[in-house]
Amino acid sequence: MTGRRAYLEALVSLLTPADVLVSCLGANARYLPHLAAPAPVFALCDSMGVAIPLALGIALTRPDRHVVALEGDGSLLMSPNVLATVAGAGPKNLTLLVWVNRHYESSGGQALPPAPVDWVALARACGIARVAAVTDANGLRAAYEEARAAPGPVCLILDVAYDPAEPVPPYSERPEEIRVKFRL
Amino acid sequence: MAAALEGARRIVSGLEQGRVTLAASVPDTWIGTLMAEVRRSSRIRALDVAREEEAVAAACGANLAGGRGAVLCQNAGLLNCGGVLAGLVELYRIPCFFIVSYRGNQRDPVYYHAPKGRVTEETLRAWRLPYAVADPRADLAAQVRSGIEFAMESRGPFVLLISGGDLA
Repeated sequence: MTGRRAYLEALVSLLTPADVLVSCLGANARYLPHLAAPAPVFALCDSMGVAIPLALGIALTRPDRHVVALEGDGSLLMSPNVLATVAGAGPKNLTLLVWVNRHYESSGGQALPPAPVDWVALARACGIARVAAVTDANGLRAAYEEARAAPGPVCLILDVAYDPAEPVPPYSERPEEIRVKFRL
Repeated sequence: MAAALEGARRIVSGLEQGRVTLAASVPDTWIGTLMAEVRRSSRIRALDVAREEEAVAAACGANLAGGRGAVLCQNAGLLNCGGVLAGLVELYRIPCFFIVSYRGNQRDPVYYHAPKGRVTEETLRAWRLPYAVADPRADLAAQVRSGIEFAMESRGPFVLLISGGDLA
């Protein structure tokens, strides 16, 4: 199974200055400042479940930009309703990446409720027509390029290895600094 | 489509004058009436969401992207939003203007709204949310515009509480 570093490096290599990335809180938000993404990044550090609606507001306001929302499975399990909201709004320029590692890793690695959630089926059931499962970095590259080439919204479900021993850097940017740097 | 109500028209006029570009909403009876007027606007994108926290985040996204977002919901929905107000709006200092139907206040005839009416203003004060109760005798559009400008200038939230009678 593929781990964080390979996925995030693949994602950052795919971004262009015309893209926008919104990241959920936790380890991904802590890693991203160290990966020199070529696109504006808005990284959350507290509020769970808001990466996708925040990205939706950006996508609807700036249809000239391709917006990527990186959301964790724990956060999305808290607010799966947003999938229906996205489907209803139908932004052509929004790609959702759901980071499925089955753990609340930013709060100490507790397991999610032990239910076999079928994220692909859930996204489709909420009305998102273009949904794909991704199991490694090459799969992400291929699926992302497809997502970017055709009208969205698109939802990619990333199967991610959880490593409780993984060293995670601390938050290196303050929230106001993130907002000020976020220029479209 | 039903004929426009004068109060609703004035509120939407205030949103337009305040250069709101996106109105994210979970409806109740009153807000649904107001959103019907929002949908007549060629300058405001109406966004239907499933929960009020989504509306707050989407409005913040619009503001971060150079537009102006607003949230239209019931006070029950605003009471859901403590976490996102603290962890997104206040933490990142993003403007967020709310129009909130004030169910259960003295102008609301429906008895089952009373419990949330009793706690609304006390909760807003406890959360330190700047707010105003719309004055139906004064210019509604100006009150909306003023609330939007407060949110923009303070880089934070502002809540305008309205009643169904204000829409007429």
